[in-house]
Amino acid sequence: MTSQSDTVADRIETTRAEIAPTTALAIFGFGAAITFTLVVLQEPLAHESLHNFRHAAGIVCH
Amino acid sequence: MLFAYLKRGLLAGGVAGIAYGLFMAAVANPLVGYLEHAQHGHAHSHGPAAESVVAESTTALVSIGGGLLWAVFLGGCFGIGLYLFEPALPGRSTGRRLSLAGSGFLTVSAVPWLVLPPSAPGAEQLLTVTTQFLLYGGLVVLGAAVAASGVAAYNRLVGRHRWLAVAGGIGPILAAAVLLPAVTPTIVRHPELSTELLTAYQAMVVLSQGSIWLCIATTFGWLQRRTRHESTATDPQPAT
Repeated sequence: MTSQSDTVADRIETTRAEIAPTTALAIFGFGAAITFTLVVLQEPLAHESLHNFRHAAGIVCH
Repeated sequence: MLFAYLKRGLLAGGVAGIAYGLFMAAVANPLVGYLEHAQHGHAHSHGPAAESVVAESTTALVSIGGGLLWAVFLGGCFGIGLYLFEPALPGRSTGRRLSLAGSGFLTVSAVPWLVLPPSAPGAEQLLTVTTQFLLYGGLVVLGAAVAASGVAAYNRLVGRHRWLAVAGGIGPILAAAVLLPAVTPTIVRHPELSTELLTAYQAMVVLSQGSIWLCIATTFGWLQRRTRHESTATDPQPAT
């Protein structure tokens, strides 16, 4: 049962107890890698391949 | 617990991603291609050399994959965000999911677009790419602040009157929508596109991104209800 009375601080506390720093780092790193590839990467090959996606998703690309 | 939410979020993102990938293939790819060819022979803001690097079919295919990955990524963020902020979000389960989806849309897309509107092919950018990214990063922070202040206003007013609270929650969003475009200069120009075509194009971008968030929130709710039914059937006392 998910208790409805807990707070955001409780949730953060639970997460800290549950998840090892390395796991958290891995999740964060993975997210950062996806963001970088889809949104930031300017390397011509990747940039041109994602061209339609970036326009369609309204991402600031060029 | 976080992993259950993350998994559900990624799954919901996958569902939204398949829908968005189909949309990319059926609507966005042909439309971007059309806009590109319609303006050919005029000013090349992308440069003619850049266009020959990759075949058009490759761009179409990778863009579909990019759309899928994008929705999965947003789904993962949604799952983690929902786990952490669920107690503070307004409403019950569905209301919480929808308000988080709305906040996510505001943060990642809507508020940044008020200053850096979605650009169609052939757009003239007045800023360099680096400046745009820095600006985008700042606007994401601003978007998160707008969404958070809306939620905070709702929570503070909900004890008094429900509709007053709704108005209080929408207030910061409306203020941002009116103020931001008014105080910032135009930094993207589309000299060769008609206003109607540009409006239609930007409406497509806004609606498709909003649909991704809505689809993630709905699918997440469906997955959560299904898991709850299963866990009550097989495991009457889940570990806390």
